[in-house]
Amino acid sequence: MRELPEIAKLREKTEFVIALVGNPNVGKSTLFNRLTGMGVLTANYPGMTVNFNVGETSLGDHRIGIIDLPGTYALGAVSQDQQVARKGILEVSPDMVVVILDATNLSRNLYLLLQILDLEAPVMAALNLVDEAERNGLFTDVEQLSEILGIPVVPTVATRGDGIDELINTALEEVKGERSHVTLPFYYATDIEEQVRRISRKISRVHLELPIHITPRALALLLLEQDREFLELLESQEEARALLKLVDDAREKILETHGNDAAVIIARERYGIAGSIVAAVQQVRERVKPSWGERLWEYTTSTRTGIPLLLGILALLLFILFFAGNNLSNLLTDLWNSLAAGHLERAITYAFGDNFFSTGLIWGVVYGIEAILSVAIPYVLIFYVILALLEDSGYLNSVAFLTDRTMHRLGLHGRAIIPLISAAGCNVPAIMGTRVLSTRRERIISGVLIVLVPCSARTAVIIGGVARFSGWGWALLLYLIIFILIAVVGLIMNKVMPGDSPGLVMEVFPFRRPSWLTMLKKTWVRLRDFVFVATPIMLVGSFLLGMLYASGWLQYLEKPLRPVTEFWLGLPAVAGLALIFAFLRKELALQLLLVFAAASLAHGATVEGINQLLTSQQIFVFALVNAIYIPCASTFAVLVMELGWKKSLQISLFTVLLALLVGGLVHLILVIF
Amino acid sequence: MNMPTEKVDEYLETIFKLGCANQEVNITQIAEYLGVSPASVSEMVKRMEAQGLVQCRRRGKGVMAGPRAKDKEEGRGSVRGRSKDVSLTPRGEKMARTLIRRHRLSERFLTDMLGIDWESAHQEACKLEHVISPEVEERLAEVLGNPATCPHGHPIPDGKGKMPAMDILPLTHLKVGEKGRIDRVEEEQPQMLQYLATLGLLPNVEVEVREIAPFNGPFLVRVGKSQYALGREVASKIWMKKRVGTVRK
Repeated sequence: MRELPEIAKLREKTEFVIALVGNPNVGKSTLFNRLTGMGVLTANYPGMTVNFNVGETSLGDHRIGIIDLPGTYALGAVSQDQQVARKGILEVSPDMVVVILDATNLSRNLYLLLQILDLEAPVMAALNLVDEAERNGLFTDVEQLSEILGIPVVPTVATRGDGIDELINTALEEVKGERSHVTLPFYYATDIEEQVRRISRKISRVHLELPIHITPRALALLLLEQDREFLELLESQEEARALLKLVDDAREKILETHGNDAAVIIARERYGIAGSIVAAVQQVRERVKPSWGERLWEYTTSTRTGIPLLLGILALLLFILFFAGNNLSNLLTDLWNSLAAGHLERAITYAFGDNFFSTGLIWGVVYGIEAILSVAIPYVLIFYVILALLEDSGYLNSVAFLTDRTMHRLGLHGRAIIPLISAAGCNVPAIMGTRVLSTRRERIISGVLIVLVPCSARTAVIIGGVARFSGWGWALLLYLIIFILIAVVGLIMNKVMPGDSPGLVMEVFPFRRPSWLTMLKKTWVRLRDFVFVATPIMLVGSFLLGMLYASGWLQYLEKPLRPVTEFWLGLPAVAGLALIFAFLRKELALQLLLVFAAASLAHGATVEGINQLLTSQQIFVFALVNAIYIPCASTFAVLVMELGWKKSLQISLFTVLLALLVGGLVHLILVIF
Repeated sequence: MNMPTEKVDEYLETIFKLGCANQEVNITQIAEYLGVSPASVSEMVKRMEAQGLVQCRRRGKGVMAGPRAKDKEEGRGSVRGRSKDVSLTPRGEKMARTLIRRHRLSERFLTDMLGIDWESAHQEACKLEHVISPEVEERLAEVLGNPATCPHGHPIPDGKGKMPAMDILPLTHLKVGEKGRIDRVEEEQPQMLQYLATLGLLPNVEVEVREIAPFNGPFLVRVGKSQYALGREVASKIWMKKRVGTVRK
């Protein structure tokens, strides 16, 4: 079996590897970010959409690799996060697995720990959120917990950094101490243990082909639980036939005795054990009054207050994206233009002379970078800080609860509403935001819908062109058309695309104070990934367009476009060129139209002069097509990053056809009436 | 009238299961359970009404807003102007019980005698239940030793169609603020069952409905110290023992 390159690299560079696992939202990522530096890598198992982070830390002279496995409630094969977390334990086989336990919800968190103990992996625990638990009146005897479980337990407050050094120290001592074997601190009901023993005896007698090392007892339990992954591995093996028969008999017996499926009974046993551990180690004293933050949190899921609150937050999100985004965008563009752009332009002209190649290069490098600085980075940066805030505070799940039903009709889950709405600010971060969705189907549907949402650049064209020259009524009509398109496309995709979104089962988190450090580092990693992927696409795209422009081949393009622009859309021929070039930056569509018109018609061009060139109906069609067809170059780049080349090209082609179809139909209707 | 009997059977069973025999259910619930559109449910129910298998009571907006509005409905957020309450007529109920008996007996036969796994047994029984004659039904029960439950643990009605006593209802019948204990989770999807189990949604665990999202949205439930949002299609497969009294009328 081949190891993931990120893991192999980590092993090479470090002495020990520690894996962090835990339920979602228990402060695991905060802990990880506290431990590791800026050199965090994202690793991904082939075929999995859930990825995880790897980084390193040092303690004294020791270099220690840290793996941040996806947050999960259990280690079955039921969902991808579970599968990835399990692979991270069984395949990577880290020197130590650190389970992060939420002290405010200990029994459910212990479930995961008990499952890892069942896998017989080297394990210890961090009892996190002890401060919050104590505020809730829950006091845990950490020493006793450690004694009962037979593993070290270190209390931590990850947001403050408390206990983290001790945690790593203890982990190191454990690793170096070479404890011979994990002794299980618990047993299940006698008849279940009996069945487990029978099955594991059989397992050690037959020869099984398994890609990973797993102890007989662990495998026996997994088979009793009907774990999909291991069943599939064994079903094709001749040797395993008798074993699987034995497992079926055992399940039958358990069903007879306990009246329920073995998987349910084992889960109940684990919860039973977890419950008795909690009863022994946790004391409930008087609960301190809930803080205003916690009380406020109740309002996020209440029907009456939750929806107005959501609308307010979405409005605020758009407001910040529009205004802060615009300001940051202007600032970055100004800085770039005043500090670097001019020099770079002169340097290119000096080096290559004044020809079409150097113009292409200027477009590619100077305008390409400007586009990244003005479109992508400011909006991505701001959106990601906000998304991280919504995610880490747990609000995203409250939103999902409220809007799930509505989004379901579009084939999406409630969580998709945040990226979808924020697309009105900028499509780029919105598409990156679809990572919060769990299935590829949802990501594709939301990707298509996001691309159709008019971003601030397209809004600039609609407001600056349509509203100004054709009137507000036309602008509103345009938005209405796009809104209907989005709804119709969503409904159709939901019907047409194979598979459906499985029933919703999702935790709604209590309020958690997000950690700034985690949020900023998350944003940094995402921004870095984006710049890495998007920059080359932007530069090459701008370079090609620049060459086309400077070489004078432009007019050759005008002619073949003529039937589409003039006949079908009823626009002047140069409009087609403007639309092609607006691929670089959508808000330039109007200016470009004038520039091209000036070049071909040779009369003075100002934005004010646009109504001399186009009738108000033509401006409407132009802005409509501009709003629907292909996302801009940055959006395309990020689509490639999230969904791959094939899907991105398909989506782009689809939007072009849709834009032409709708633009042509609108033109037809306008002509008739 | 020309109606595919299998489809009628399917509806009878669904209405029976959802309403626990003598409770009214609405079109939306049936549509959710069967995974079809409310429009086609309406159509089918109309035809079954004509055959005397179900009875419907239309609820207009005015009725619901008035003081006689049934409070049992309010918590569910499913109150709509055109909504309809459906319940089985005695004849429909008897047919439903017979079908369920045949289904569960077939399951027992398939698992116990033929050694077929549960999942396939359920699928096969779905087909068999429509073609078993009363004689075969009786003989099956005899050979199997008159079993009380199906392999999944659901009760099998006796020959006269009487169900062993039970006061259980789907989670979707609970109102905001109500508590109950999980009786069992329907196991048509083993993966879902397993997932719910790992989250602590296990038999005999207490569940409280905290909130129901608007527009027939998901249920927010509290289990232990955790809160989960459960979509309706999931919630309708979780059967609850209600804490105080019963909801039978």
